[in-house]
Amino acid sequence: MTSLTAPRRTAAADTGSARTGRRPLSRKHREWIAAALFLAPDCIGLLIFVGIPMVLSIVLGFFQVSGFGSYTWIGLGNYRRMFSDPLFWSSLRITGIYVVVLVPLLFVISLGLGLLIKQKLPGIGVYRTALFMPYVISLVVVGLLGKFLLDDQVGAVNRAMEAVGLSGRSWLGDPSLALVSLIAVTTWVMMGYYMIIFLAGLQEIPQEYYEAAKLDGAGPWTTFRNVTWPLLRPTSFFVLLMSTVAAITGGLDLVYVLTQGGPANSTSLAIFYIYQQAFVFGEYGYAAAMGSFLVLIMVVLSAVIFALTRGGRFDDGE
Amino acid sequence: MASEATRLARRRRVSSRFWLTLLAAVVSLVSVFPVLYMFISSFKTRAQVTDGRLIPAQFTVQNFVYVFTEVPFVRYLVNSFAVSAVITVAALLFHSMAAYALARLRFPGREALFATIFSTLLITAPVVLIPLFLVVGQLGLLDSYAGLIIPAIFNAFGIFLLRQFYIGLPRELEEAAVIDGCGHWRVYWNIVLPTSRPVLAALAVFFFLANWNSFVWPLVATNNPDLTMVQVGISSFQSQYGANWNYVLAAATVAALPMLALFFAFQRQIVESIKTSGLK
Amino acid sequence: MLQHGNDAEPPRPPRRRSVLAAAAGAATALAAPALLTGCGAAGSGGGTLKFWNFYGPEHGPDPAVNRQSDWFTGIVAKWNATHRAKIELVYTPPQIYQNGSKLPTAFAAGEGPDIFLLSPGDFLRYYNGGVLADLTPHMDKAVIADYGTSLASRTVDGKVYALPMEVEPLAMFYDVGAWEKAGLSEGDIPTTWDEMLDRGDKLRSNTRAGLIFETGPGYYQNFTWYPWMWQGGGDVLDKQGDVSFDSKATRQALQLWSDAVRHGIAPRTLPAAGDVIGAFQGGNVGMWQQGIWNVASFKAAAPNFRYGVFKLPVPPGGRYVTSLGGWSFCANAKGRNPEAAAEFCGWALGTMEDDCIDRMVDWCIGAKSDIAPRTSALERGAAKGGYDSAVMKTFKDDIFPGGRPEPRYPPVVYKAISDAIQGTMLGGDGVAGAASRAAQSMAAYTKSYKGASLV
Repeated sequence: MTSLTAPRRTAAADTGSARTGRRPLSRKHREWIAAALFLAPDCIGLLIFVGIPMVLSIVLGFFQVSGFGSYTWIGLGNYRRMFSDPLFWSSLRITGIYVVVLVPLLFVISLGLGLLIKQKLPGIGVYRTALFMPYVISLVVVGLLGKFLLDDQVGAVNRAMEAVGLSGRSWLGDPSLALVSLIAVTTWVMMGYYMIIFLAGLQEIPQEYYEAAKLDGAGPWTTFRNVTWPLLRPTSFFVLLMSTVAAITGGLDLVYVLTQGGPANSTSLAIFYIYQQAFVFGEYGYAAAMGSFLVLIMVVLSAVIFALTRGGRFDDGE
Repeated sequence: MASEATRLARRRRVSSRFWLTLLAAVVSLVSVFPVLYMFISSFKTRAQVTDGRLIPAQFTVQNFVYVFTEVPFVRYLVNSFAVSAVITVAALLFHSMAAYALARLRFPGREALFATIFSTLLITAPVVLIPLFLVVGQLGLLDSYAGLIIPAIFNAFGIFLLRQFYIGLPRELEEAAVIDGCGHWRVYWNIVLPTSRPVLAALAVFFFLANWNSFVWPLVATNNPDLTMVQVGISSFQSQYGANWNYVLAAATVAALPMLALFFAFQRQIVESIKTSGLK
Repeated sequence: MLQHGNDAEPPRPPRRRSVLAAAAGAATALAAPALLTGCGAAGSGGGTLKFWNFYGPEHGPDPAVNRQSDWFTGIVAKWNATHRAKIELVYTPPQIYQNGSKLPTAFAAGEGPDIFLLSPGDFLRYYNGGVLADLTPHMDKAVIADYGTSLASRTVDGKVYALPMEVEPLAMFYDVGAWEKAGLSEGDIPTTWDEMLDRGDKLRSNTRAGLIFETGPGYYQNFTWYPWMWQGGGDVLDKQGDVSFDSKATRQALQLWSDAVRHGIAPRTLPAAGDVIGAFQGGNVGMWQQGIWNVASFKAAAPNFRYGVFKLPVPPGGRYVTSLGGWSFCANAKGRNPEAAAEFCGWALGTMEDDCIDRMVDWCIGAKSDIAPRTSALERGAAKGGYDSAVMKTFKDDIFPGGRPEPRYPPVVYKAISDAIQGTMLGGDGVAGAASRAAQSMAAYTKSYKGASLV
């Protein structure tokens, strides 16, 4: 069968070749090809519509861009400017507070809601829809509703507070409260969203485990700690990582509608400051440099979370 | 002895159900109150929109009449629906394929590829907007449905969520299929995909919604008024120095209703447990 | 995991076929949208000039909006009927046009519109970016004098780069009903800052703001604040272009707004989410510093509402000044056909033809309620009775004279001033520190500034 000019065969290929007389692909290689085909559409699309723009925007950070077609190379000029810009650093500080408060808050609330909504309670479909409803409304309208309900004089929130004897506050006009209001509105919008994600993850846990736990006489807290939480880890990892990234890069729409970065720059998140530099001041190169810096921060954060969880596989081992 | 224990257990179950239901009702009320306010205010006149009252002093349906007659709002809804639907179907297909490969197939560089794909989520959108606009312009897709649809399909979020989900799937299902002699595509199409219905239903809702509510990209990528989508259309009720908030709220209510219906229809799918029967 | 090697013969072909089928399906899915490119809206030919604006073509429930849209579509139709180069209007909602990403993105990608509307505050950024075409060759010489001071901020080295179609003075609007209910009369109209604060105090209640100043950061807030500084004789830059922001006039202007908020006379956020007409109608306003454009809005949306206007009060020893806003037509020097675009701008607003003057009159008293920037148009409009109503007469005779056009400061200067206003008004900062901080950062910037003059 074999001749001196025939190509070498791997051991895995031998099993098939004896029958057909030609060299089939090994199981391993067939898996590679299948993987390539499965991944092709998304990888190509991501490369063209996300990868290339990302690279372009990183490159832009080394230019002075007028926004009207003139590009001047200035090397690290934008980065030097960034490091001595107090507004940028204060925007990072505000973003830091925003992330540190919002992410755990959202995580706990949406997990709790997910567990609650999973129960077979009467009318649960209605509650589920009610909790998801805020996410359905576009953010522009959410901002508008926020302005109405948080209005200093006639807003429902202040009216309710006055009804119980507290004095109303200027939720959007007081620099010490505006960020809190922003976080509250964001939580209101996003809790239904992450609740659904947790719900899908909870549904993945086979009933048998719960039944086994009940047979062992485990109470709700023990069941949660020993059955739900470990099996929920892939989902928890997802929610933690995604909500952190979203908190760093996603607060723009609400800030834009609710406060425009005010009052007195108290809600000027990094992403808003970058937007302002790019589209209001026309400083695209500078904005791109700050954007790249923000990406770097996110890469580091994600890398840490990835490392701690073995890439989200935990002890999967596969 | 046994009947006493069961009676106690039943009472405990009933009372815990009661408290949980109450909790769910209270949280839902807080959650839905602003939306209710929006809905009610869409029946108010311009002067009352901000009076903070829950019952309109002057009830009117004129806002809705205006929304449909003064601008081609139905066209906006149709545009948004068509664009979102195509994106959702394409995205579900592509992302589940990619996620399956990343979760279950073995090939060199798998984890590195996933990390790379994940890193495409770490973009600062305002900065990427202009390069994206340039790329799409180079491809000749501006001011067209294709330009609205194609760039929006590719987002690593769905890949990430599905990959986590597939990692968590019990292997017994796939192993059973393999023993029966299924190839990769069959395992994916016939076993994994149907099993992931809860998360696919959730993603379908998310993708549809995200594109239904998308604002910045449709605004920047199209000039032709025939391509206007719902959210840009709603913002047209704001004039240069004033705003008819009552029309904006009415338009927003109309825009939100199909999405609520969609969610209501899909939510049972999302909550369905994965079928593990037939394994034993 | 998947044990292909041990398969019996038959299962292999389906697997390969199904993988190929999957690949074909994916390829088709990718190709299909690309085919849709052809199904996109049929774009106009390459030769048509695009005129981006925020007025038309647009149809809305507000009759004023429709009139304004008609004015724009009318001009373009008239031009298209008599000229070879055709123009097409592209409408963008106002908020998005002015504050959003559509215009900047288009310009940054080299796809900016051929003709567009420009605000005075943005002038320098566009001029320094080299996208404004010189309109002077397409204007009649006499028109420059006819425009007078309105062109000052749109001229560089004697050449005109933007032609305004309107002048919008700021004044104080007040709710007549609320005024009377608070026991005030015509004679109580304030002429000094202290009187103004006092009236505001009398007018405010749980649901009504006494005196409203703009609260949100932005070019507009700066625009509404400048006159309070100018009244005291202060300015951002002196005649030589040096920063003179740190002055008594600046400090007292910042103090005025800060005091008003601190004493609860002025609110920290705008009522009715910024909808002027809605807020007045809802009884949430005592006095609001606003612009002449509201006259048309009131007429269209709340014709029976009783409101009044008076000119901005002055500080002790101060001189009356108000801000004059107004947008202008511009031609894109980097567009497809700058010559034709500039010709259009000149034809529309910059000749001595009767048509041209009437056009401006029609905008200022017909479609909108504005002061005409050209003296000839203003006289003609007055002759037509456009300024006969009590309110418009007050604007023309009382408020407009002594007005100063909105300055053209670059973004860094704008931001420094904005931070000072925001910090003192809402953040509790001391005015002396805020003014000097702003002056310092502006001075640092102007030292290295290269571009058209800032004054």
